[in-house]
Amino acid sequence: MKRKQAGLWACIFVLCITLIGCGERKQSSDTKTDVTAFVGTNIFEGSLDPVKGAMSYGYSFTNNALLKVDLNSEYIGDLATDWEISEDSLTYTFHLRKGVKFSDGSDFTADDVVFTYETVHNNQANNENVDLTRIASVTALDDYTVEFHLSEPYSPFFDTVAMLQIVPSDAYDSELFDTMPIGTGAWKVVQYDANQQIILEANENYYAGAPEIKKITLVYMDNDAAFAAAQSGQLDIVMVGANYANETVNGMTLQKFETMDVRNISLPVLEEQTQKNSEGKEVTVGNNVTADKAVREALSIGINRQTIIDHALNGIGVPAVHFTNNLVWASTDTYEDGKVEEAKQLLEDAGWVDSDGDGIREKNGQKCTFNVYAASGDEERYNLAVALAENALELGIKIEVKTGTWDEILTLQNTAGVVWGWGQYSPTVLYSLFESELFLTGGYDNVVGYNNPQVDELIHQALSANNQEDAISYWKEVQSTANQDEPYLYLVNIQHCYFVNDNLDISAETQIPHPHGHGSPIICNMQDWTWK
Amino acid sequence: MLRRSNGKGWNGRSRVFILLIVATVYLVGIFVWGITMNPVKYGVNYSEKLVSPCIKHLFGTDFMGRDMFYRSIKGLSNSIRIGLIASVISSIVALILGIVAAIWGGWIDKVINWCVDLCMGLPHLVLLILISFMMGKGVRGITVAVALTHWPSLTRIVRAEVMQVRNSQYVQAAYKMGKTKVQVAVTHILPHVLPAYLIGLVLLFPHAIMHESAVTFLGFGLPAEMPAIGVILAESMNYIVTGKWWLAFFPGILLLMAVLLFDGIGESLKKLWNPGSGNE
Repeated sequence: MKRKQAGLWACIFVLCITLIGCGERKQSSDTKTDVTAFVGTNIFEGSLDPVKGAMSYGYSFTNNALLKVDLNSEYIGDLATDWEISEDSLTYTFHLRKGVKFSDGSDFTADDVVFTYETVHNNQANNENVDLTRIASVTALDDYTVEFHLSEPYSPFFDTVAMLQIVPSDAYDSELFDTMPIGTGAWKVVQYDANQQIILEANENYYAGAPEIKKITLVYMDNDAAFAAAQSGQLDIVMVGANYANETVNGMTLQKFETMDVRNISLPVLEEQTQKNSEGKEVTVGNNVTADKAVREALSIGINRQTIIDHALNGIGVPAVHFTNNLVWASTDTYEDGKVEEAKQLLEDAGWVDSDGDGIREKNGQKCTFNVYAASGDEERYNLAVALAENALELGIKIEVKTGTWDEILTLQNTAGVVWGWGQYSPTVLYSLFESELFLTGGYDNVVGYNNPQVDELIHQALSANNQEDAISYWKEVQSTANQDEPYLYLVNIQHCYFVNDNLDISAETQIPHPHGHGSPIICNMQDWTWK
Repeated sequence: MLRRSNGKGWNGRSRVFILLIVATVYLVGIFVWGITMNPVKYGVNYSEKLVSPCIKHLFGTDFMGRDMFYRSIKGLSNSIRIGLIASVISSIVALILGIVAAIWGGWIDKVINWCVDLCMGLPHLVLLILISFMMGKGVRGITVAVALTHWPSLTRIVRAEVMQVRNSQYVQAAYKMGKTKVQVAVTHILPHVLPAYLIGLVLLFPHAIMHESAVTFLGFGLPAEMPAIGVILAESMNYIVTGKWWLAFFPGILLLMAVLLFDGIGESLKKLWNPGSGNE
């Protein structure tokens, strides 16, 4: 009996401790100073060293580039204050911001810019994100002026400049910078635990004023574990997929952010055939169903994108038929979808008729069916493909949805559809999507086998245009010409979803349109975050 | 004596027999039902997403509105099929190697024993993942992986059984009558080890099914588009945290039952065929 009583007392004791503990936790959240956030695992996957291409998508936090994008996706000065471009577009002169210090206290000068660009230029193989091959020379005219000479006119040069953040010339250490880069950014890494957490501290030397929040911890977790952690109050921000969007978390609110990230499906435009790839190996390319333009066109006008989004993404996302309007170079001619009758007519005119009554059309004994691959582990893309398949069945087109690793997709991308995600400031993505020479060169460029001399010529003109306006009009023409052939079936402009602590203000008004980054871009304005 | 009063005329033998029949009917039923099932039954239906278990959907539905009851049955049927193929191949390998090792002896015995030790020395799951990944995953990869990793323990059992009988008088007599080793193995030794072999085969099934599901769960087995218990459980992980318990619970129970029943069948057969317990 005594023992039983002792046990009871122990239970009550433990309960009291827990209750007190809870009380304390609540108290501390009122006077919270630091932030713990889960923003996906993207940041943990590569080096943090700008010289190796880190954070080139436009939301770096440790280092700054000469330029950055503003809310309208246009370039404004970051470490540069103003700039001049020569008549022939071969010389760019940047005037640098004065009085900027690195997080180690040293001064930022033109030497650091020259050092950064030369290091990347000399080690281009280590940096696949920032292409400096067109730079002929970089020189420091004085401490605060840098001059770039290009070997040929290159209109996306500003995109390149905005991607490459500056590292200090005297403190640069290739190994150290992988995890703890020294930079001029608003944050410095104070602790880096691979695949666990990155602890950031405010950089008191930041030229625009030190952030109000002094410490931010970015954690590495599985999506479901992160959501559970948010439910138990351990996280202030948690990135969630669309499948969690209908859930509620105590003390947190769901916030959705505009992105420039689109999901499209590549549809091989070639008939099935064998071709030699760049290594001289014979490979099978093309697909006899998607090679028919009528099939591609019927899909693009016949499917109902809003229904697909409702089904696959809980209605989160915006129907898209091209790149997003928040990019200055994106084509804006849109069209209506869901025109089922028109699409059916198109297929019938092209000879695709359902003669055996199984609901799937045939033409010359060829069933109107093809495979679409989604990267395994990416549930969102898989759901999108399944929802599309369900929608396309109405038109008599059967899409078999499969999953594969990216290595497997690399071998299948020329013969089957693949769900892709694109979201970047630079229009050079159009070059990799449509340039005929890139077919079969390895990598994920021009997987559909698109070959249109007119488009190639337009791409060339756009790249070598010597002013931004011309370049943009060429890029728009590239899209309007190529999109007539529908080599890519655009589905959705996704939105990023986060549960955010109600007391935390993440300054939605200074969030840039999010580039591709699996939810990470919310950190683009960490310096503006405040506790209410 | 307790048994008799409980059984009321049912002796141990018939109870085991009934268990055996029930388990076999259940498993064969699921297997056949799954194979002949119309894919429409577990197809997507977006108007009924994430419905909790009810009369219409016994196991509820998932995020695409797929009926989890039919999907689980189909998935289990797929698992049983792969388990069957893989364990039959595995057991035949074990039978041949076991008999060869024991009868021929010498360096052949040594080599086979080395292989057994090698395979048993490596962690099972690692070997499975490696082979499955190397074979390109999917049905083929996982079947080959399970088939190639489950023979060692049965090989040992078969070898030990053969060792017991190879010096018995009737075997020696057969040799004296001029029979070759192969003839002796097939006509005199094989029938003797058959019961042990068959029990071993049945007891391999649960292992094979569990391992298939485990490797698939980890993403190295069957692809996501194929209904399989491993795929279902892996998908459900994303939803457990939001309280969609039925996505993992019922398929998990179904898998557990299948494994336990296979195990039950094996144990029952052992009891029936073992002279010591067969007549209880």
